[in-house]
Formats: sequence, C-alpha cells, structure tokens
Amino acid sequence: MIGDLWRQFLAGTFWEPLTFALLAAGVLGPALVVVFSRNIVHSALWLLPCLISVAGFFVMLDAELLAGIQLLVYCGGIVVLILFAVMLTYGVGDPDTRVYNQQLWWGLLAAAVFGVLVSVLVGMQGWPRGAEPAAPDVTGRLADALLGQYVFAFEVASVVLLVAMVGALVVARAPSAGAAAADEGEANE
Amino acid sequence: MTATPLHAYLVVSAALFAIGLLGVLVRRNAIAVLLGIELMLNAANINFVAFWRYHGGVNMEGQVFAVIVMTLAAAEAAIALAIILNVYRRFKTVNVDQINLMKG
Repeated sequence: MIGDLWRQFLAGTFWEPLTFALLAAGVLGPALVVVFSRNIVHSALWLLPCLISVAGFFVMLDAELLAGIQLLVYCGGIVVLILFAVMLTYGVGDPDTRVYNQQLWWGLLAAAVFGVLVSVLVGMQGWPRGAEPAAPDVTGRLADALLGQYVFAFEVASVVLLVAMVGALVVARAPSAGAAAADEGEANE
Repeated sequence: MTATPLHAYLVVSAALFAIGLLGVLVRRNAIAVLLGIELMLNAANINFVAFWRYHGGVNMEGQVFAVIVMTLAAAEAAIALAIILNVYRRFKTVNVDQINLMKG
C-alpha cells in the first residue's frame, strides 16, 4: 500500500488517487451526518458538502457542465427549497422526539447488506483500470446530443418541470378563507 | 489518461446509495426521507457519468441521462415539499409513521 503510493508519487500520478480519496470522504462522511443527525436543519445543511463533492467527482470525470449544473440546481436550488420547507414545518423540533422509526436495526441491516452485496458484485467484474483522455469539446457535444438526438426527452423534461412547478404552487398555496371554512364545517360534522 | 479504476467510482456510488436507502428506511421526518432520496439520485448520477467517461466519452447518453435525472430531481423536490407542507397543515406533524389516514 505505502509502496504503491510512493511509486505513484514518483510517477507524478499521486494527486489523482489523493483527490479521489478526499472527494470520496467528502461524499460519504457528510452523507452519514445527513442520515444520522438528530437536527433536521443540520441534516439539510450537511447535504451541501456532499453535493459539492459529487460536483468534484463530475469535474474529475471531465463533465464540467454537469458539475456546474449540480452546483446551481442542487446546492443553489434544492437545498434552499428544503431549508424553506424545514423552517415551515419545524414544529416537531424538540430534542425528545424520536428521530428513527421502529425499523432502525432492520434498516441498518438492509442498507449494509445492499452496500456490501453491490460492492462485492461490482468487484467481480473486469472494469477498465483507467480511461483515455475524453474527446474534446464535451459541453458542445452534450448540447448537440440534448438538442439533436434526444430533443424529445429534453422537451418532455421541460414539460414535466412546468407541470411540477404549477402543481407545487397549487398544492402548497395557503387555503383560501372559503375553503378553510368548508374544512372546518366538514370537521365539525 | 486517468488512473482511477472505474471500480472505485462504482463502490463509492454504491456506498452513497446504501446511505440514502438507510435514510429513507429509518428516518421519521418526511423531509429527512426526501434527503435520503436525493442522496440516492446523486449516487445514480455518479454512476451514469463514470460509465460515460470510461466507455470512451464519445457517445453522450450518460451525460444526457444525468441532466434529465437532475431536472426530475428538482421537480420531485418541489412537489414533495409542497405535499409535505400540506400534510403539516393538516396533521401538524411531518413524521411519516404518524400520518396514517388516506382522508384527513
């Protein structure tokens, strides 16, 4: 192990495994905090380093545009949205509230079995040990694919986004006075 | 030339997916369950991009998939949080094991 590292250092290929290890720790450590933190605000905030490390993986994999989208959409959009929802529903934040349901041990068992099984099965295949440099102009070719061969999927995704946006507005809007009164009446019956 | 084996990315992604699955299975707060789902979607995205990169990086299907997964993740988060808000108004709780009525 140490000898391997030293040889990589001499060959100048030391930084890539080191970066990979740091990013892997940056993905998995915060992810564990997200799942195990007692405070839901901490959970939502610890999602940020995890998502930023995933963007780092995308950069390592020559997908710079995806890394940018990851930062904008996930870190800038989804995390903020989740924090808003947390603050609107944080009435249950007293420390005595149970964080886990009754299936904690079964859940741990299932997740551990899944992770170990997939890692072992994946390790049994002969995957490439490395990759040639990616063909140039990745972003341009992604644009060509999105607006050329896959334009239908692209358009369907935009329609889904529009429907989701309108739907979220309709579902989340505060009930009007009339509807609230009708609900009250229904509850009193 | 990159020297990291594809295997390494797949194992990290499997571990991230397992952590997200754990969050979905054991947390009581509906928002924490949503956080677990986001972790699993990110694990899938790492796999898509890694396979794209290690299979020549010429055909762009892997990245197209990842872009669409991110779009749908955004839509899913918006809808799920709207539903959670509504549930909170009705039940005054977001703990999924206390919400057991189909009709409030």
